[in-house]
Amino acid sequence: MNNSASSQQKAGSSQFSTSNFELRTSNSELIICEGVWKVYNEAKPYEVRALEDLSLSIKKGSFTALKGPSGSGKTTLISIIGCIDRQTRGRVVLDNKDTTGLSDIALSRLRRQWIGFVFQNFNLISGLSAWENVSAPLIPMGFSIDDRRRKATSLLERLGLSGRANHMSEELSGGEQQRVAIARALINEPDIVILDEPTSNIDVESIAVLMGIISDLKKNGKTILMSSHDELALRDADIVHELKRGRLSDN
Amino acid sequence: MKHVNLLYAAIGNVTRHKLRSVVVILCLVAILFPFISAIAILEGVKAQSSISAGEGADIYVTMDMYGRNGVIPVNMAEEIKKIEGVTRSVPRVISRIYIGGKLAVLFGLPVEEIKQMSFLKGSLPEEGGIVIGKGMADALNLDIGKNLEIGVRIISIVNRIPLVLRKEYRVSGIFTPESGIWASDLVLMNITDANSVFEMEGFATDIAVYTKPGYEAAVSEGLQRISKFFRIQTKGLVRSYIESGFNMKGGVFVALYTVAFAIAIPALLVTSGFGLSERRKEIGILKATGWQTTEVLEMVFFEGIILALTGAPLSFMVSYIWIKFFNGFFIAQLFIAGIGNIPSFTVPARFLPLPFILSIFLSLVLTMAGSIYSAWRAATVPPAEALR
Repeated sequence: MNNSASSQQKAGSSQFSTSNFELRTSNSELIICEGVWKVYNEAKPYEVRALEDLSLSIKKGSFTALKGPSGSGKTTLISIIGCIDRQTRGRVVLDNKDTTGLSDIALSRLRRQWIGFVFQNFNLISGLSAWENVSAPLIPMGFSIDDRRRKATSLLERLGLSGRANHMSEELSGGEQQRVAIARALINEPDIVILDEPTSNIDVESIAVLMGIISDLKKNGKTILMSSHDELALRDADIVHELKRGRLSDN
Repeated sequence: MKHVNLLYAAIGNVTRHKLRSVVVILCLVAILFPFISAIAILEGVKAQSSISAGEGADIYVTMDMYGRNGVIPVNMAEEIKKIEGVTRSVPRVISRIYIGGKLAVLFGLPVEEIKQMSFLKGSLPEEGGIVIGKGMADALNLDIGKNLEIGVRIISIVNRIPLVLRKEYRVSGIFTPESGIWASDLVLMNITDANSVFEMEGFATDIAVYTKPGYEAAVSEGLQRISKFFRIQTKGLVRSYIESGFNMKGGVFVALYTVAFAIAIPALLVTSGFGLSERRKEIGILKATGWQTTEVLEMVFFEGIILALTGAPLSFMVSYIWIKFFNGFFIAQLFIAGIGNIPSFTVPARFLPLPFILSIFLSLVLTMAGSIYSAWRAATVPPAEALR
């Protein structure tokens, strides 16, 4: 976490029980995956093992990258860590909280409070403007429309999109759409920012802008997890893990 | 503030998905328009019948003939008038008759009674003259001054063709469309002429008895004293016949509509599933950014309310315009037998609050059935799955 005070505050508001907890993250570890499996169509002839007995730990404030060929399980792993998918077996611990058996409500709270997720294809909502897309996570949090607009516009300006806030998402270039997606991921001030293949749909100039943004996020103490097979993007990562057929090859 | 935000988000979604919203609203109108129209027409006809019954006689007297209503001598009207509490007694001839292949109601009244008739174009019938309804005039291409032949009886059959004795009557007046549903197919003449049509001189089909207020029971007893063969029907009894008849019609309609409604739900499910993959993706995005399932469902619920609150009043408005300004063109014949595409009278209709409230409720059921379940399914799977 950024500091212990904010960590306490978030832990207090997240309402997760930490009793009966066996696996605990150390002071420096924010994310721990232990023996994680993700199996599609389990026990069927067309069973697919996306992840196999994968264990991994990620330090607070680090920039961790996952690389590997298509189908190696990168997206599956970051989806599970980002709490938008569930593992078949194994445990995922985020800041001492085991996410394994959490309810749908608890996972939603976790995503809202801790995690910002940037999808490979951005997943912006069509028909909404850039600022409306960015502020969508704030709607159920009770922010007034003026507050939402102010927060979103300010964030878009910081990401170099001043003047594009009122443009429809369809009117933006790939790089701009990605920055809108990043702004949306950051609007709740999460501690963990997860980026899925952020360089795959943008040009070289936009990659340079993106790496600048990631560098700023790291300076601000955010824990960054990124999947990519782009060597340029991997260059700035503190740690690069390689996945092959659902396993970490560097394990 | 959270709920207000979700409401605004729902309004935004309804306007953003214009095509889907328009299709759902049109489906609602298509389902609710006949329902609202039918109830309005049924209520209108019922009200007009009730008024007719209310304004009619207090007692109707016929003679018992083998346990059925039989004709009654006209001169009994004078006897009845002598009963204490009777203000008027009017012999009438009423019968259904085919004229020019069209079923009509032939109505014969004493001349002094006919003079009280209103909503008339032309003049009241003198001897040999008739006043006809607008429906009859349109169907038989009749106008004031023209003659109408009415078949009285079959004289003989030659080569299997019946030779009919016909009498000719001059059209002296036509009831205007405002005269109501009952006058549309009416042929009004004086009672003497009506007697001659049916060749039953000196008899009436019934005698309408008007009493002073509160004398109905006493007059009924007085009638029974005159003749034990009198069959007496009070105003209350007539009104209850009318009400039970309409309630039965209404019941049959509601039963039929329930079936149609049950069929409409899956149809609307399909319609609202229009763009479902896009919707599923949107819900996945919202969930991935921290929305709770209940918050997604609340927003979808608001969308349903908005669509229902648009669809139901729109259906009501379309129905009102259709009946009041287009006189129920085409649709009225589905609920009033034998009037054709273009009703020849002002279609009676009453738009009551209850069907309006019911139509809002039905709209809500339809939109909720069409949206909540699919939204719930999209919201309860992991967001990654909804986004796949």
